[in-house]
Amino acid sequence: MAEPLLEVDELTVDYLTETADVRAVDRVSFRLDAGEFLGIVGESGCGKSTLLFGMTQLLSPPGEVTGGSVVFRGRDMVRLSPGELRNTRWRDYSVVMQSAMNALNPMKSIGAQFKDALEAHGDPSAEQIRQRSVEVLGLVGIDAAHLRSYPHQLSGGMRQRAMIAMALLFTPQLVIMDEPTSALDVVAQRSLMSKIKDLQRSLGFAIIFVTHDMSVVSRYSDRVMVMYAGQTAEEAPTDAIFERPLHPYTRGLMTAFPSVTGPRRELAGIPGAPPDLVRPPSGCRFNPRCPEVMPVCRSREPELYVVDDADVRCLLYAERPAEAR
Amino acid sequence: MATGFSADIEAADATSDAQAQVEPHRFLRAVRGNRKAVAGVVILLVIAFAAAFPGLIAPDDPQATIYPPNLLPSWNHLLGTTQLGQDVFSQLIWSTRLTLWVTLIVSVIATFLSMIVGVTAAYAGGVTDRVLTVVTDVFLILPVLPLLILLASYLPPGVTSLVLVLCITSWAFQARQLRSQGLSVRSRDFLVSARVRGERPMYIILVEIVPTMTSLLAASFLALAVYIVGFAASLQFLGLGNSSELMWGTMLYNAQQAAALEAGNPWWALGPGAAVALLGAGFALLNYAFDEIGNPALRPVRRGKRGRAAA
Amino acid sequence: MADEPLLRAVDLTRHFRLGGMFEKQVLHAVDDFDLTIHEREIVALVGESGSGKSTVARLLARVYPPTRGEIYYRGRPIHTLRSRRALSWYRGEVAMVFQDPFSAFNPVFRVSHGVMRNIALHRPELKRAQRQPEAERVCQSVGLGPKMLTRFPYEMSGGERQRIGFAQALAVRPKLILADEPVSMLDVSIRAGVLNMMAGLRDQEGVSILYITHDIASARYVADRVIVMYAGHLVESGPTEAVLGDPRHPYTQLLLSAVGDPREKVELISSDTGEPPRVINPSEGCRFRWRCPHAIEICGQVTPQPMPVGSTQVACHVAAPAPQGLTGPAVTTKT
Repeated sequence: MAEPLLEVDELTVDYLTETADVRAVDRVSFRLDAGEFLGIVGESGCGKSTLLFGMTQLLSPPGEVTGGSVVFRGRDMVRLSPGELRNTRWRDYSVVMQSAMNALNPMKSIGAQFKDALEAHGDPSAEQIRQRSVEVLGLVGIDAAHLRSYPHQLSGGMRQRAMIAMALLFTPQLVIMDEPTSALDVVAQRSLMSKIKDLQRSLGFAIIFVTHDMSVVSRYSDRVMVMYAGQTAEEAPTDAIFERPLHPYTRGLMTAFPSVTGPRRELAGIPGAPPDLVRPPSGCRFNPRCPEVMPVCRSREPELYVVDDADVRCLLYAERPAEAR
Repeated sequence: MATGFSADIEAADATSDAQAQVEPHRFLRAVRGNRKAVAGVVILLVIAFAAAFPGLIAPDDPQATIYPPNLLPSWNHLLGTTQLGQDVFSQLIWSTRLTLWVTLIVSVIATFLSMIVGVTAAYAGGVTDRVLTVVTDVFLILPVLPLLILLASYLPPGVTSLVLVLCITSWAFQARQLRSQGLSVRSRDFLVSARVRGERPMYIILVEIVPTMTSLLAASFLALAVYIVGFAASLQFLGLGNSSELMWGTMLYNAQQAAALEAGNPWWALGPGAAVALLGAGFALLNYAFDEIGNPALRPVRRGKRGRAAA
Repeated sequence: MADEPLLRAVDLTRHFRLGGMFEKQVLHAVDDFDLTIHEREIVALVGESGSGKSTVARLLARVYPPTRGEIYYRGRPIHTLRSRRALSWYRGEVAMVFQDPFSAFNPVFRVSHGVMRNIALHRPELKRAQRQPEAERVCQSVGLGPKMLTRFPYEMSGGERQRIGFAQALAVRPKLILADEPVSMLDVSIRAGVLNMMAGLRDQEGVSILYITHDIASARYVADRVIVMYAGHLVESGPTEAVLGDPRHPYTQLLLSAVGDPREKVELISSDTGEPPRVINPSEGCRFRWRCPHAIEICGQVTPQPMPVGSTQVACHVAAPAPQGLTGPAVTTKT
């Protein structure tokens, strides 16, 4: 097996407040190979965004990484010094946030922001800056004239694409995206996803794509990791997740999507709501809502078990011999 | 459908029960845990006690001119005596009541006025908003001191005039702030919901909007109180009060008239001055504390508990 | 289904003037929109941002009056109502549910507040003592235990809050609920429950629902009829299976292709990037023409009117051209 591009091992993020400690991310592990597209799927409170922030040292207090490692290109990102972090940020990996309006500077034109980013990592000439800016805008299908536009002058879809263009300025090996399409309408969303996949194919970067809506990534991802209550519930190749979902939560998610094609089937969803992480349920965190709950689930915490090409955190599969990772 | 619903009800109850442990004393706990809040509350309690039971602390008649004049502080006279031979400490304690009264009355009235004007302007919008905003702006830019001096010639000097003038000149500032807050709340769905139910505008303002602004109103009140404490004293110091009334400001005036700092007992001036500062500080500390309690981002950073073992 | 529709809107139009009193820019949120809702039916109003769907909801709820057009509820004109009593009557018949479960409730009060106020204002036949049991009854009918009424909004999940939102609407015993994107802000796994609950309300409580959404897939799941809006205009409407099974209007086709089947690895055919429509001082003609792969000359000159095609109505010169010699029922040029 080739050396993975990124290896996250038992990453744990806690929020240490005066009143309570909350474990927002609990021993999450996964690996990512070069050029791979990983979708991280989960609903409110599952910890997927916290996972991203923890990985990239973007957590604000009282959040803290309290365990595990994130090895990217041979170095642990969580333990990099600010100087080393500055060097590697944007060059080797970049981050696209959920809302471009929050990430882009509303007071500066798009071109000026590209210039800032380019100058932060080197000493390019004005011509080089211009050339590269036009190039990345072209990659995402935005006319070069918009280098002079301000973020509020662009539509939502265009802003998101501008954000992606900025993320590709240095053609990083890894692009991390946190729900970049959730604020967009359906047509814009589909168009953007298609464009992202095109870019990935032609430029060869790996993608970690975080979303609450599995249908957004399912066409494009190689693998999917489903998170629940701060833990990995299931991780498997995309096809496997769709054809043979193993974790009852994943199965529940599958029944929650109404479709426009095919026969009309009963939509069940999952009753109840995600748990409060200050006082998580004892045993398996999904047990209050699980349609296949067994008595042991209320007292014993499941580990990740290997089932063919998938990892599942569910006691239904605990008879399997090996414990994963 | 029934079975589907009962599963929902059960699951919902299970998760909600775990989370809905409403702690009715959560606020008190927060106050107890915050150092500024504790300090502020202690100061205010002490001052309130002095206002309520002055006789317990300083049994002497504050206006009796029976002692030797201009004495410096001693065990018998904690802050010395005035030019007329009155015990300064007694005067200070007995002045607390009226001073505190004036501060509170003005703060309450002015906050109430600013709330009515600000929120109505924000909710009604249109012409009403413009008119009220103009009125607010006019009162904002009124030059206070010249106005007071003018009024002082017409109004009888004393507490009533003081309260009147202070109310008129201090409500406008907070009105702008409360209007801003009202504007930001106006488009929220629960207000549209109230309109769609058919509630009357006054009901919406008083019952739906104002209660959501209690923390802002409390902050307004406290900030105003800090300002009023100092401003009332300043006005009286300038001679615009009634020097025979027992208030800290009038003490300052009398002390100044008697050149106490230079030639007599400086504590005659320093005492009430410090008292004014202390009362102001009490309100200010509470204000900061409420900010911190309400907004965790403002809390002092505590050391994180390091070394928590990963499972 | 009764012959007399429950609600009928004709030529509904709402414009907003942008900027101050002297601004010339007019936003055409809704133009010449017709709508019919019958008893015991769920009608989905599907559209994206800028389509005008939320404005339609607020017009029907009389949050503000229409710039032009008429609304009839059970035959009575609603657009001209002015008296408090008449409006109050209407509000007891037509209730609204909001999109954002986080801002739909006053955080200061328990969630019972809205429910009880609705009962107090619109159920005069109930005596004081009967109010609490009624509140509990509507709570049950949305699948929540009566204990939920004592909670504060922050103690409830998004899905629970949306259900209470429906309970609040049900408390007035409405004939029609205007649900403005009720599930858009909920987690996907929670949506199914709320959608099922909506279908249950139609079946068991006999309530009609105008379900406003941008998610055409959920419309398919829960609605009897679908109306598709684009840039303030009605572009296609009809029974759900007819519209979604055989969409005629290019915009409906675009929407369906964008949603598709999440498991298909089909590459996108259209190069449409989903730019928002132009609704400020729009010119005459079809507002979809810039994005339409089939646009012809007349599309830029005459606004297409909805024409029957099979069991659906389509407003498109190409898919449903007006008969020769006519440009459609309402021929007047609109300013």
